[in-house]
Amino acid sequence: MHIGIDVGGTFTDAVLMDKGLVKAVAKIPTSRDLLTSLLQALDAVMQGVGGEQVERVVFSTTLITNMIAEKKYDPVGLILIPGPGLDIGLFRFPGEVRVVQGAIDYRGREIIPLNMEEVDRVADDLAARGYRKVAVVGKFSCRNYLHEKKVAERIQRRFPEWKLELGHQVAGQLNFPRRVVSTYLTCATREKYRFFVQSVQEAIGQRGIRGKIFILKADGGTLPLEGSQEVPMETIFSGPAASTLGVQALLPPGETAVVVDIGGTTTDLALILSGQPLLASKGAKVDDMFTHVRALAVKSVPVGGDSVVERVGRDIILYSERLGPPYCLGGPMPTPTDALRVLGLTKLGDPERARQAMNLLGAPLGLSPEGVAERIIRQVVETVVEEIENMFSSWEQEPAYRVWEVLQKKKVRPGTVVGVGGGAPGFISQIAARLGCSPVIPPYAPVANAIGAAVARPTIQITLRADTEQGYYTVNEEGFQGQLDDPAFNEEKALNLAKRWLAWRANRYGLENSVQEVELLRKEVFNMVRDWVTVGRLIDITIQTPRGILYHVGGGRERGVEE
Amino acid sequence: MRGKKTGLVFFPAFDWAISPTHPEREERLLYTRDQIFEEGVLDLPQIKEYAPRLATVHDVARTHFCVPRVQSQVTEAHLIAAGSALLLADAVVSGEIKNGFALVRPPGHHAMRVVHGNRGFCNINNEAILVEYLRRHHGIRRIAIVDSDVHHGDGTQDIFYHDPDVLFISFHQDGRTIYPGTGFPHELGGPGAYARTINIPLPPGLGDETFHYVVDNLILPILRDFQPEFIINSAGQDNHYTDPLGSMRFTAWGYAEFTSKLKPHLAVLEGGYAIETALPYVNLAILLALAGLDYSRVREPDWPGAVKENPDRVSRVKRMVDQLLRVWEERDNIDIEKIFGRGPFYERQKKIFYDTDYIEEEQLERVRRCPSCPGYITVDSQGVRGYSYSTRVFCVSVPFQACGACQAEAYDAYERAKGLDVYQYVYLQDKSTDTFFSFERDKKREWVSEGPKVGE
Repeated sequence: MHIGIDVGGTFTDAVLMDKGLVKAVAKIPTSRDLLTSLLQALDAVMQGVGGEQVERVVFSTTLITNMIAEKKYDPVGLILIPGPGLDIGLFRFPGEVRVVQGAIDYRGREIIPLNMEEVDRVADDLAARGYRKVAVVGKFSCRNYLHEKKVAERIQRRFPEWKLELGHQVAGQLNFPRRVVSTYLTCATREKYRFFVQSVQEAIGQRGIRGKIFILKADGGTLPLEGSQEVPMETIFSGPAASTLGVQALLPPGETAVVVDIGGTTTDLALILSGQPLLASKGAKVDDMFTHVRALAVKSVPVGGDSVVERVGRDIILYSERLGPPYCLGGPMPTPTDALRVLGLTKLGDPERARQAMNLLGAPLGLSPEGVAERIIRQVVETVVEEIENMFSSWEQEPAYRVWEVLQKKKVRPGTVVGVGGGAPGFISQIAARLGCSPVIPPYAPVANAIGAAVARPTIQITLRADTEQGYYTVNEEGFQGQLDDPAFNEEKALNLAKRWLAWRANRYGLENSVQEVELLRKEVFNMVRDWVTVGRLIDITIQTPRGILYHVGGGRERGVEE
Repeated sequence: MRGKKTGLVFFPAFDWAISPTHPEREERLLYTRDQIFEEGVLDLPQIKEYAPRLATVHDVARTHFCVPRVQSQVTEAHLIAAGSALLLADAVVSGEIKNGFALVRPPGHHAMRVVHGNRGFCNINNEAILVEYLRRHHGIRRIAIVDSDVHHGDGTQDIFYHDPDVLFISFHQDGRTIYPGTGFPHELGGPGAYARTINIPLPPGLGDETFHYVVDNLILPILRDFQPEFIINSAGQDNHYTDPLGSMRFTAWGYAEFTSKLKPHLAVLEGGYAIETALPYVNLAILLALAGLDYSRVREPDWPGAVKENPDRVSRVKRMVDQLLRVWEERDNIDIEKIFGRGPFYERQKKIFYDTDYIEEEQLERVRRCPSCPGYITVDSQGVRGYSYSTRVFCVSVPFQACGACQAEAYDAYERAKGLDVYQYVYLQDKSTDTFFSFERDKKREWVSEGPKVGE
């Protein structure tokens, strides 16, 4: 049996699944201590089920998200090796920044050497200011880690107790400023995350669960809990990924749909294109800084069931703040939930108080409670619809660098709008109508997120880049750099080498079973021509284990399951 | 302008090449991509990246006479490169961005009005297509094109030689030492557009200092006088000191400084074949300059420091700058008839060589000397490919500012040519109504293109 748990900001949801059937669900309020919520939810769905029957537990966590939002991490010093180029002052980097001399170019060649005395001075300076955690990041370090490694070795020798984090190990993609931020955040959160992982492992062990424990990532994939310690940052934003995967599991395969998750204060939008959740083309924004964290393309709209509604002059205005629960649930201000209550679109709260809320807004304008309620609903619907349109057009606007990519771009519009989350029933049919789609609220919609966690597949990826002229290759995800001895190294050999690395990486995570299928994600082969002669090739290959879900959820509803 | 972004279309055409080892091949912008991506420039709030779009066949026919037809001269890659410039121009005109950089390939500034094939790596002229598009779709009349490629922008010059509302300035390595062998100071435009073409051939080996002397003392003063509504930079980068085809000594900084002085609405990449040593740095520096960001730290790894320039060559350039500035200042007082003679038509014979496709073209270009408009143009052109295969065509072009009389005469000329057996194809391009006719002798058929309807 599989268990999925999604720890959200307000509720923690859990499901127990058996061969595509939902056996038990649970919804409990999230408490301050994430571990407690996690275990409560786990215990709730495991009632009457022995730990030995559980083959797999997947959960999401907001630990890192919260830690970053509340800045509850240790200070981190940054040693950067930017070399010539952009003024790094254009980017807002967190932490104490120190720049040292040195530069590597786009093909990994050293163009300016390091100055070790300068490295020592900078390290002493950070030490004097009390830093014990330091991130070392160089421009183009993903093409050659030489400088980062040398700086780290030097520092580690002098300050063995320091926790160092190197850019090329955190983020192998191009984009130095994002690598800086990603490395900084990894350095800042890793220790606390490790402690959390240990507590979870202990607690789950006590329940006799022998199955594998996974953690959900922002891109909708999973990683074994143990291995996730390498990449704590990838656990952020897994909530939206959970509900999107849940919808994917609850829909027939191959659908193009918009997922609308209407919560108390925000509405999360995600796209499923031909059955696959859409990944953002660039890394996620964390605490207002761009990172390399791969995430689903999720748009958060600051409007939800608990958003404050006010009358200003003759206008009724929807604000993005929440000032407590809806009026009908004893809150201080009218909200969209009150509007839904008046129109009979929800059963939450006291109908009389909901009418009062509408009257507060509408009476001075001579509007009936129903009239006001309709206006509010229309505004919510309009806001959400506009954002959905924007999402599609910005997806269409994504840059393309090849002729075939430009030519194959076509307009895609969804067929269905899928509502999940508490506010969905009241709004979804109107949103769908405005988009000319069919509204769907799948069974188990309130726990779609937990289902998503339960069905998420492990994912591993390998990006291999070979430069045959210089005779070396790199493996981004592993921070590896090695020699190419074969003079006849070509595309096919590169692909085979990448596959071996993928298998090796899978093994390392204990996921050897998931590399039977391999998807080619990206392949670039460039002949390097100098003076009209081909002198070598640049081969860039990204492969991964298939993304997606383990299975779709069957239509049959089990007896005795509460909703 | 403040607060607005710089638009970028980056279209490296990673799946398009003239031939596998040609300088214009897939790899050309690879390292530029690496540099731009690694620097994180695209995350800056000052820069907005756009997805490329395709120009239409009609956009091309509005500007060129492609023989036998547009579809036989362009690939999708060409339409995307041209379309990217149009897209950015739309965004500039609508006020969405303050300026733009079409970092695209293939290039276009050697493509002339009549296109028999590829010359100087170019099939269609991205900037010229943009000019006609700006006029048709945005009613913009006065446009300046400044060409900073090491090679003379002979295609652009050819297309606007008789257009008084397009100022074309090209500085480049002296044509006696480099392809295409033209672009001398005496090439100043036709009788109706005298001094609207300015050429500054530079002796090989000169660097940023002379480059900026020309910019400060000639190009900027002329632009201030001309007051263009829109400035386009044909941003070739082969004046760089590492370029394998050129022999100039400009640096990335020199290019960026030029860009920030010129303040073009749109920069369109042209040549530049030092794909590792120049392009990553020059493109980055130009992009930063357009966005108003600090480019002083962008430096080539092997930056040689200040170039020692040959004083004789420098003083030659200074004299030429003085002469050209006088020509410009006296442009409206000059005796046109003394230079161009009299008569209802001005004629020039041209021989054009297509280096990439080995085609030799002979042209007779005639422009109607009309007192009330720039006059219509006819081109009798024969392209010879090898020994046996030749195509003779007759082209009539009506400028967008054409008067009624010229328009009527032009249609007559077109009809007359259709009746002559010597021309395999006869074309009429009426920019005043945005209509294009083409007639094929052997099939006795005529095609008309009126461009997209409103709303398409």
